[in-house]
Amino acid sequence: MAAIDPLHQFLVEKIVPLPPIQIGGFPLDLSITNSVMMMLVAGVLVSLILGLASRGDLIPNRVQAIGEAFFGVVETTLVTPIIGHNGKPYVPFVFTIFMMVFVMNLLGIVLSLGSLAGFEWTFTPTSQLAITATLAILTFLTVLIVGFVRNGLGFFKLFVPAGLPWPMVPLMFVIELISFLVRPLTLSMRLFGNIVGGHVVMFIFASFVISLGIIGLGGGWGSLGFLGSAASLTMIVLLTGLELLVAFLQAFIFAALATVYLNEVVNLGHGH
Amino acid sequence: MAVGPNEAAPSQGAETHAGAEAHAKGLPQFDTTQWAGQAVWFLIIFGVVLLLMRFVFVPRIGGAIEAREGKITGDIADARRLKDEADVQAQAAAVETAAARARAQKVGAEARAKAQAEIAARLAEEEGKLSATGAVAEAGIAKARDAALANIQGIGAETASAIVAKLTGKAATPAELAAARGN
Repeated sequence: MAAIDPLHQFLVEKIVPLPPIQIGGFPLDLSITNSVMMMLVAGVLVSLILGLASRGDLIPNRVQAIGEAFFGVVETTLVTPIIGHNGKPYVPFVFTIFMMVFVMNLLGIVLSLGSLAGFEWTFTPTSQLAITATLAILTFLTVLIVGFVRNGLGFFKLFVPAGLPWPMVPLMFVIELISFLVRPLTLSMRLFGNIVGGHVVMFIFASFVISLGIIGLGGGWGSLGFLGSAASLTMIVLLTGLELLVAFLQAFIFAALATVYLNEVVNLGHGH
Repeated sequence: MAVGPNEAAPSQGAETHAGAEAHAKGLPQFDTTQWAGQAVWFLIIFGVVLLLMRFVFVPRIGGAIEAREGKITGDIADARRLKDEADVQAQAAAVETAAARARAQKVGAEARAKAQAEIAARLAEEEGKLSATGAVAEAGIAKARDAALANIQGIGAETASAIVAKLTGKAATPAELAAARGN
């Protein structure tokens, strides 16, 4: 029954159970779960690819060209055009967000093909609200800290658009403050929703392949089930392509929004 | 969300129980008992990757890209500078060539003028010699003619005296002959 439950793929299961650590009376369970394992794989993969790409040669080889292409996505298309030359210190942060989200998204799709070969613990860390929320809050706090460090109390000018007539100021302040505070929620839910949605839809089509195939095996009019089964399989192939695009796009959007939010506090008060 | 029963027992049983509970309530992602561990692990991994990014990957990859761009712009600037130099040199060479050509033409013209003057001088000299020779010859011819003419007079006188002797039977005197020729 669990096997055809489309939500079973999101279940966190322990691979290496560890005793919980007590921190101020609260237990913290740091067991290696399938989720943690995939995060580790993603972290190692990102480090490996970028480590191999860090040859620093004038003439790049293939891995270096790939690493530089990813770097270009963050540095040349996001940080420099959006923040300008003040943006250089934020490149590592945005690059880490982009690469980690991209590779975690991608692992969920690429390794799910492995589940066809009986590979058991395929898992998409970005389908976990806990992880997207952590990343979103981390981004939010980074923006907050950068904002206060760079601007001091001038940070609050962020909530008062320039040239606003003074009677409007309190109202706009409240509206802008709410739109600022809601950012971690939108950031985390956008990534989480996209990945979960894609995986659930793919799972449902996959279950159609099986169930309609079983109906087809019954013979008679039931043989029409094979048609539906084949159509569902085609849909999975197409959806896999779409999900590869979504994997990149959501990582890009998360990185782009982080850059935009950083820009607002880095270049606060000049330009916009 | 009731998380109480799961906290104390980190056994396999508690986990499957948590899983079953999550199933019953919908998305397993909303099972907050799983949040802290994932969040902490995520922060650890993110932090490690961020440190690697900050101190290794971004400086190296960004440095390589910058070095490449610097090299390309430097090479282009070098090429442009060399081209300019070559242009200047080509212009200088063209100017030099023109000067050399002018000089060569001048030398040629001078040589030609000198040769022509020499030729004219030689011609004049030869002509002088020729005319002198001509004058000598002409003088010789005149003398010969005069001599011949004198001879003719002698022959005429002899012939006349012989004719007179035959006709008259006596020789005519040279005075008579001279008188006759004078008529």
